[in-house]
Amino acid sequence: MDFDPYPDNRVVGTARVPSGPQRTAPPVPVKIIVAGGFGVGKTTTVGAISEISPLTTEAEMTMEGVGVDDPGQASSKTTTTIAMDFGCVTIDHTLKLYLFGTPGQTRFAFMWDDLVRGALGALVVVDTTRIDDCYPAVDYFERAGLPFVVGVNTFNGQLGYNLDEVRWALAVRDDVPIVQFDARFRGSVRDALLVVLDQALDKAMKMRS
Amino acid sequence: MRHPADPDDPEHPAAPGVRPYLRNTGPGVRYQPEPPPAPSPGPPPGSSGPPPGEQTTSLRPFVLTSGRVDGLDPNIGLETQVSSHPGALSARLSPEQRAIVHLCGEPLSVAEISARLRLHLGVTRILVGDLRAAGHLDVHVLENDFPDPETIMRVIRGLRSIS
Ligand SMILES: Nc1nc2c(ncn2[C@@H]2O[C@H](COP(=O)(O)OP(=O)(O)OP(=O)(O)O)[C@@H](O)[C@H]2O)c(=O)[nH]1
Ligand SMILES: [Mg+2]
Repeated sequence: MDFDPYPDNRVVGTARVPSGPQRTAPPVPVKIIVAGGFGVGKTTTVGAISEISPLTTEAEMTMEGVGVDDPGQASSKTTTTIAMDFGCVTIDHTLKLYLFGTPGQTRFAFMWDDLVRGALGALVVVDTTRIDDCYPAVDYFERAGLPFVVGVNTFNGQLGYNLDEVRWALAVRDDVPIVQFDARFRGSVRDALLVVLDQALDKAMKMRS
Repeated sequence: MRHPADPDDPEHPAAPGVRPYLRNTGPGVRYQPEPPPAPSPGPPPGSSGPPPGEQTTSLRPFVLTSGRVDGLDPNIGLETQVSSHPGALSARLSPEQRAIVHLCGEPLSVAEISARLRLHLGVTRILVGDLRAAGHLDVHVLENDFPDPETIMRVIRGLRSIS
């Protein structure tokens, strides 16, 4: 087995840096998606861990009506502009973690293809008083084969339901971790992201073997 | 507990697309999002006019990119690092292109360029692609689609050291 879990002095050379006079080599960027319904704490999550205060950008997303009201209908696709916020954590000068907070919307599935390309995984933020707001995100990440973790944001320390009930309502596979966290606290967000990274590491190891 | 968490329950199998679309309307609810607009039959993609309610942000982009909306390089992602060539500022550039070149003396992600210049992300990607084609920018494309275990381990150790 050639996997060394502590490659301390190794420089990751996956960025194709053009040769030329010495210029600052860019860090290798990796990203985690923070998804969920409106107002569940995505921006709070990103801001709690980011070393910069969250920046916002606007992006086009394709939306697919999932036909809840009219199940017989073919799905309709529309394009809409959404605001996405993001932050970053510099691991060292050769590696930088980006966090992208992106909305989902009940009854509509966003197509996050551009966003998800190359992502390590996703944290799906859930408010237990309206669990179904995160269904589009869960559906999407399942289909995309992206490692994801459900993070139940404990507003005011209150968890409306126990985690088993949340798992039932979400109908996610047993190997999808469901964790409880508080979006306002860095340590709590860090721990939730570490669970996402564990999932990502599993996937990377499977891809290698 | 209201429901048994039974993954084999045929009513609620653990498979994509079959989530029970329930909405909690119990007393604990403190927020009801507005229902999203119904999917309108038109206009289809590519026809004139942005979807209703999106006018403000959709007009300017197409001016800046001379009407080009497709041909986006999928390798130019949100986190992709961009750096400008030293001589690029002396080239004839549009104000937006010049601003990008100016900003990227040090490597910067596409998302940061977009946010700092308040340019729509799609527009930023197109302008970055054009600047690269003209030889004014380097776009640092990653070779792997998914990071390798060593990289992920480094992120894990980096995050663990945050307190
Ligand atoms: N008490 C408490 N408040 C929280 C918590 N997380 C978020 N909030 C608050 O809830 C509100 C919404 O949080 P945001 O982080 O803006 O949520 P969001 O998902 O980014 O919202 P949108 O971008 O509008 O969809 C803010 O006023 C936060 O301060 C939490 O864990 N506890
Ligand atoms: Mg937000």
